[in-house]
Amino acid sequence: MTVYVREAHPTDEWQMKSNVKDDVCYAQPKTLEQRVAIANDFTKRFKFPLPFGIDDMSNAANDAYAAWPERIYIIDESGHIAYRGGMGPFNYKPEEAREWLAARYGAVKHEAPKSPADAAPASATRAAAPTPAPTAAVK
Amino acid sequence: MNRFWKWTVGIFGVLFLAAFTLLSFMAGSPKDAFGMVRYALPHMHRGTLKVGSDAPDARIVALDGVSRFHIRERTHERPLVLVFGSFT
Repeated sequence: MTVYVREAHPTDEWQMKSNVKDDVCYAQPKTLEQRVAIANDFTKRFKFPLPFGIDDMSNAANDAYAAWPERIYIIDESGHIAYRGGMGPFNYKPEEAREWLAARYGAVKHEAPKSPADAAPASATRAAAPTPAPTAAVK
Repeated sequence: MNRFWKWTVGIFGVLFLAAFTLLSFMAGSPKDAFGMVRYALPHMHRGTLKVGSDAPDARIVALDGVSRFHIRERTHERPLVLVFGSFT
């Protein structure tokens, strides 16, 4: 499941050139409605097929998981942290999570995007990449 | 200003310049280095969760903006991959 947290590079804070290039220009949401709108833009733009949720304006999920700007966790069947990814962006390693899943549940072959247009921008791709998991075993 | 203070200020100045240059290199530019210090570092936390910790719960808003659910509602019987991120 992907959880949308506060923006990393909004226009009114630390916007990067790549945001302009990728046409991903948003101000930091000040209301839940604004967060929901950006999250919907993301899922619609990339036809994001995976379960998706939005951290509310209290940033409860972000605070509980020290999630910002991007991070991966795997929670096991008993409700414990089984895998704890590093802090993004430098230690955000989807491939490490994928390897962890493959070692524990078996490898799954993933299809590559059909065309470059299908690929999300760097940050979005990073967020989406690790989620594919053994579909029979992992939500 | 006596000699001691001149050296102290000089050394701190050089160290500050070196640190800013290194940060600019890491971030991509002086502007990005400023952005990192001003906007990113205050929000980046290593956190206290460890492998084996109870997974914390939090209320999440669905894409419709109205429905709510809890992370732990999704952790029964099957493992859950949680991917946190934003659009930008």
